[in-house]
Amino acid sequence: MTDHTSQAELVRRSLKGRYRKERRFRAYGIVAIAIALAALVTLFTDIVGKGYTGFLKTTITLEVTMDPDLMYLDDPTDPKQVRMADFVAPLVAAVGRALPSATQDDQDALRRLINPYASSELRDALIENPEWMGTTRTMSFLAHSNVDVYVKHKGDAAYSIKLTDQQQAWVDDLRARELVETSFNDVFFTSGDSRDPAKAGVLGAIVGSLLTMIITLVLAFPIGVAAAIYLEEFAPRNKLTDFIEVNINNLAAVPSIIFGLLGLAIFINLFGMPRSVPVVGGLVLTLMTLPTIIISSRAAIKSVPPSVREAAEGIGASKMQVVLHHVLPLALPGMLTGSIIGMAQALGETAPLLLIGMVAFIVEVPEGLFDAATVLPVQVFLWAGSPELAFIERASAAIMVLLAFLMSMNALAIWLRKRLERRW
Amino acid sequence: MPTNKDDVYGDHISNSFNDELLALKTRFLKMGGLVETQIESALKALVDSDGYLAEEIRANDRMVDRMEMDIDEEAMLIIARRQPTARDLRLVISVIRMVADLERVGDEAKKIAKFAIKLTEEGQTPQGYGEIRHIGAHVMAMLHDSLDAFARLDSEQALRVMKEDKRVDEEYQAAARTLLTFMMEDARNISRCMSVMWVLRSLERVGDHACNIAENVIFMVKGEDVRHTPMEEAERVVGR
Amino acid sequence: MSTVSSTITNKMQAPDDKAMPVTEDKVMPVTEAKPEQTVLEEGVTVGTPFADDPKFKLRDVEVFYGETQAIKNISLDVARNEVIAFIGPSGCGKSTFLRCLNRMNDSIDSCRIKGSLLLDGQNIYDSKRDVVELRARVGMVFQKPNPFPKSIYDNVAYGPRIHGLANRKSDLDDIVENSLRKAGLWNEVKDRLDAMATGMSGGQQQRLCIARAIAVSPEVVLMDEPCSALDPIATARIEELITEMSESYTIVIVTHSMQQAARVSNRTAYFHMGHLVEVNDTSKVFTTPEHELTESYITGRFG
Repeated sequence: MTDHTSQAELVRRSLKGRYRKERRFRAYGIVAIAIALAALVTLFTDIVGKGYTGFLKTTITLEVTMDPDLMYLDDPTDPKQVRMADFVAPLVAAVGRALPSATQDDQDALRRLINPYASSELRDALIENPEWMGTTRTMSFLAHSNVDVYVKHKGDAAYSIKLTDQQQAWVDDLRARELVETSFNDVFFTSGDSRDPAKAGVLGAIVGSLLTMIITLVLAFPIGVAAAIYLEEFAPRNKLTDFIEVNINNLAAVPSIIFGLLGLAIFINLFGMPRSVPVVGGLVLTLMTLPTIIISSRAAIKSVPPSVREAAEGIGASKMQVVLHHVLPLALPGMLTGSIIGMAQALGETAPLLLIGMVAFIVEVPEGLFDAATVLPVQVFLWAGSPELAFIERASAAIMVLLAFLMSMNALAIWLRKRLERRW
Repeated sequence: MPTNKDDVYGDHISNSFNDELLALKTRFLKMGGLVETQIESALKALVDSDGYLAEEIRANDRMVDRMEMDIDEEAMLIIARRQPTARDLRLVISVIRMVADLERVGDEAKKIAKFAIKLTEEGQTPQGYGEIRHIGAHVMAMLHDSLDAFARLDSEQALRVMKEDKRVDEEYQAAARTLLTFMMEDARNISRCMSVMWVLRSLERVGDHACNIAENVIFMVKGEDVRHTPMEEAERVVGR
Repeated sequence: MSTVSSTITNKMQAPDDKAMPVTEDKVMPVTEAKPEQTVLEEGVTVGTPFADDPKFKLRDVEVFYGETQAIKNISLDVARNEVIAFIGPSGCGKSTFLRCLNRMNDSIDSCRIKGSLLLDGQNIYDSKRDVVELRARVGMVFQKPNPFPKSIYDNVAYGPRIHGLANRKSDLDDIVENSLRKAGLWNEVKDRLDAMATGMSGGQQQRLCIARAIAVSPEVVLMDEPCSALDPIATARIEELITEMSESYTIVIVTHSMQQAARVSNRTAYFHMGHLVEVNDTSKVFTTPEHELTESYITGRFG
């Protein structure tokens, strides 16, 4: 028997070492978290720093005189002629008027200050309001994307190389007179992709993503939950179910591009479905999400206390009633969270969609499940690979939109969990 | 170290329960020993006309009473704490009953001592002492045997004690008749003979108590109540 | 003392140095033996295992879990409107046997049951017999109070609902009220029938489970250690309830508390390592058990 006092002494001596170990361990943890946080902060500052300008557009306010002569119109009242008229000339003239220092030789340089699509904007406006013909009106037009990046990144030489010194001087002059302004970029949220960065938007990608997600949700959730319930509650325990189980677990770890290949081979080549459409994208993502949903749903079913099952069975509930009345309601929050996390994964997926052609350049906002579409991550991929400087910030902005979507989905998962979870 | 017989009550999982039951048994046997001595001394005091010894017996009776209360309390504690069942329950219940019998035996000893003092003071030729000696020896043997049967959980011996009681009763009847003739011969003997009669009566009661203890031993061992049943029934129970 | 020959192992003795050396005792034969060698004759039960006009007539019941035999040839009658208690050391098969009575073992794949188990003369394990109907007649209350995470009302109403016992809301209300009254819970919960059942105290939850079981008007109520998770006051309430219920139901109760068995039951069955060793009136079992194993168990010599 050890003496009590000496034993206490021994314990006290060992305490110091124990506390030291504990502190060291805690320090490791803090360092790890700090590194992770730093990485996250860097990522976000980079994206937000580069991308916030993507949410801004640059406009030029001009006094445009709709002079039929300048527009080469014989009969200003003929709508057919109006449609074919030259709208660039009045715009250039308006820019020239705004910049007195410009000479007749600077026509080309002046034209490059305004967006190539400004002329069609003017045309549309005039067709809408034929009475404007011959009048002078003050109107705002999108600036050329070169002007756009120059204005947004004032002082950064890398962004001004596309403009001549004279053009820069003009822009500075216009900006000083508040004729060139930056404002919220509504175009970004209201239009599809475009070759011109100033006209490019994410609406098409958002709608494409939504359509794809709807397909994925509608297919993956019921199939996944049903499979989980069957495997967990009804399937006999034998070699076959073991085999299925192992395979489901393996599928969850298969690289997503494999699912893309599968989709390409089966849905497009075998079933002859069109390329680049949300239906096929949704199907492929369904395949990819199913293992995740099945695994999380099975875990949720397993976590239902057996006592509840026993209680229901003891009263005489049939297997089906036990599952529908008791197991499913209790497992639902877990299933939903698992599904939403799986969906969030699918939302951020690019690789499988590249293979089924959703990487195409699509200007139109898709209106149905069989319209060619692209999705947010693919849009990011496309823009990030684009050589034009203005697309870089659009890509970052699109990433922010994508992140916002993911975060709101995760928030939804948390909210659903809190809402549906029953306390014991 | 418990004897072999104690293993019947000494093999519980709870050692302290074992100890409690053992202590109860030991105390009871100790009280039994004391009561036996009391009766023995009382008879001695009577026969030897030893007034001093008789006084001592009366003093010792308080000790018997004290022991009765102690054992009762202990038994009550065991019931409250352990909720004994079956064999253990029967032991505790029997001890509670038997301890009352022992206490009554102690009272009889006191009574005999009282008459011993009275008879010593009257100081006349002892008449009927032969009967007292005879019956006294008989009931003392019965008391001893019943306690022994309890100590060894010997139901057969207990049955023998029960049978002895009948003979004691017969002897008592015979002795009473003898004393009655003494009283008829000489009226002056009546007072003394009555005292002797009371002593005999006490001894007969001691035999009854010994018989009760024996019945309780049978209940303890066999689990069947043989009180107020014919002897054949008791024999059947013990013979099982 | 008994008709069954048996040897008591050292393990069953108190692990007590004082008890050594092993003695040759008339009352309790003690010999050197390994625990596995405890020999009990199969199918022999001392006491009164049979009854006239039984509710359950169980003959030669054997239960296997895979290769292991959990129940070894047990024959027993459960009389009408009696409370019968199953006692015995852990793993003696009493819960397994109880669960055979409403086929709660069905969900265990490896479990096989042999022998004849009759409820009112009909075979419980008949392949044509619907287990749902059986469980409506033979209700069960479990060890841990397990109310559904629903309202108190829905808990009690669940059984009648799935069995279609009440067509109108008012009928259902009556059933719920009656069941809660019978379970002695009505006065405590009548003002909060919509409250979550999981928010009640343990004792209330268990009484709710009893109310839920009797809401489908079963003929038999099986109770698997219904008080093991409850405090003494709640236990006393449940025991009182069992006594009241015994007027209209046949009750089979498995319990680890021998005092509880002694208090609530009419008959007591002692199980030992898959054998049914003794069945007798409770008063007899707890004062003068017939079998040494029963005696050793109830007096705390092993178990």
